[in-house]
Amino acid sequence: MSGQSWVVVTQEKQTRGMVLAARALSEPVVALVVGPQSLADLTATTGVDEVRWVPAEADQPPEAFAPALAQVVAASAPRVVLAGAEPGGRAVLGAVAAALSATVLPAVVAMSDDGGQLVVLQAALGGEVLRTLVPAGALAGVFAGADPQDGGAGGSAPVVQLAVESVDLRIARDEAGAAATGVADAARVVSFGRGVRAKADIALLGELAQALDAELACSMPVADDLGWLAKDRYVGRSGQHIAPRLYLAVGIGGAPQHMEGVRDAKVVAAVNSDPDARIFREADFGVVGDLYEVVPALIAAVRSAAPVTSVVKQ
Amino acid sequence: MNVVIVYKWARDEANALVRADGSVDWRNAKMTAGEDDPAALAVARTLAETAGGSLAGLTIGDGDASWALARGVEQAVRVSDVPDLVDNAATAAVLAAAVRRIGAVDVVVIGDSTQNPGVCVALAGQLGWPVVAGLTSATAVGDRVEAVRCIGTRELTFSMATPVVLGVLAQSDVDRPPGMKELLAARRRPLTTWALADLAEPPVDVVSRGTRAPDVPPARIFDGAPTVAAEQLVAALRDAGALA
Repeated sequence: MSGQSWVVVTQEKQTRGMVLAARALSEPVVALVVGPQSLADLTATTGVDEVRWVPAEADQPPEAFAPALAQVVAASAPRVVLAGAEPGGRAVLGAVAAALSATVLPAVVAMSDDGGQLVVLQAALGGEVLRTLVPAGALAGVFAGADPQDGGAGGSAPVVQLAVESVDLRIARDEAGAAATGVADAARVVSFGRGVRAKADIALLGELAQALDAELACSMPVADDLGWLAKDRYVGRSGQHIAPRLYLAVGIGGAPQHMEGVRDAKVVAAVNSDPDARIFREADFGVVGDLYEVVPALIAAVRSAAPVTSVVKQ
Repeated sequence: MNVVIVYKWARDEANALVRADGSVDWRNAKMTAGEDDPAALAVARTLAETAGGSLAGLTIGDGDASWALARGVEQAVRVSDVPDLVDNAATAAVLAAAVRRIGAVDVVVIGDSTQNPGVCVALAGQLGWPVVAGLTSATAVGDRVEAVRCIGTRELTFSMATPVVLGVLAQSDVDRPPGMKELLAARRRPLTTWALADLAEPPVDVVSRGTRAPDVPPARIFDGAPTVAAEQLVAALRDAGALA
């Protein structure tokens, strides 16, 4: 193995976090970027030593280049390769891992060097515990650590364009769905789950959302199984991924699949009658109680306090 | 188009008891159907039906292999003595060896697990096949596969040649339990059991130095009377700048 770390970049999100995590090993960091030149140029400012850039046409997903890129990365025999959770980056990571015979670990949050031995910190069980792992050889990690919004080395690393073969895999159609609901860009979101007993009770949650100048959202079962809200209002891994200033979850258990959609929320608060509900492990604030008693009290408390400022999230 | 659906390949993390010191006690070590398994099975069935091909199940470990057989899968293979592995590449190596032994497989469909997002991509890497993950549906179009990924309200449709691995995300968490007739039919469907030693070298897992509780502070909980707790929460949110 070489004393080198690579990060696979297919979108801006998680790039700075991955570079910071790789930097902790005090080894050169190479970014492998698949996408537009703007992404390569941006990545070059995040503190990497070099960018290898694969320009992709609009119908060429990163997955199409994975087999060829595996050979490119394997030729450098890095000790560490990181990718984010985005499926295209993971596809490249999987191919690279096979080429390197690397250990593949999910939820990597940090790495360190312990006398030449790579030590990995993993957020196991949906982040409930931190597990310390020692791979025997190279590591291919799916990164899930902190992702600072800005920062970098200040300079710009050289960008080297790569010409690689792609396999027979393309984007045949890229279709926008229904008009956006506003949940995606809302500064505040009130979201509810199956703790709400009847469809008519949504009005109560709507009243709270109105008092907080928030958008109304829900967990996956509410939209998909019950059909109480439009599907573009459900938050979670396969739904909306949002970054509001406030995410207030009412009657939501907090399964990892749901919480993945609010990973970037600034403040998470929860109302749940179960003091052991998983969501309290990830929330900043919580109220343990019956939502049918707590929500009216919250509406009154918000209305009696100073008005909530109406903002457009930047 | 011959399709393999991979199911019950990991333990359910909901069965893990985390002690105060951060150590983990697995109260139920059996492999269980993951949240994405029903969605993956639905995609696999659609593919096999639209292409007119076969559908076989593949599971590892000690879970109940009849899960897929009772949901319309014609035959299944279980690699019985596979432990739960932290290294997603080690899990993928076992699955890849089994897929090779099944033979003549065109599409492998597997849940794109939140807990183990490296398995489906590592499986593809070890098979030397392309992979598209984060999918919600797929169908056969001639000898190709068209598969859809939803990103918010946007829909991306991929078109690809086979062989390929498809990672499927659940958009619904409701599994339709089979009825008595389907359970009885499952008993008559062939289940083949292979030992790990017949397929591959014993998997070598990554060394763990243990687990601990995270350093993040616990949530600030207000558990008094609803009126008081609500006022405390609103005050805390205002102090945190969440209402500004």
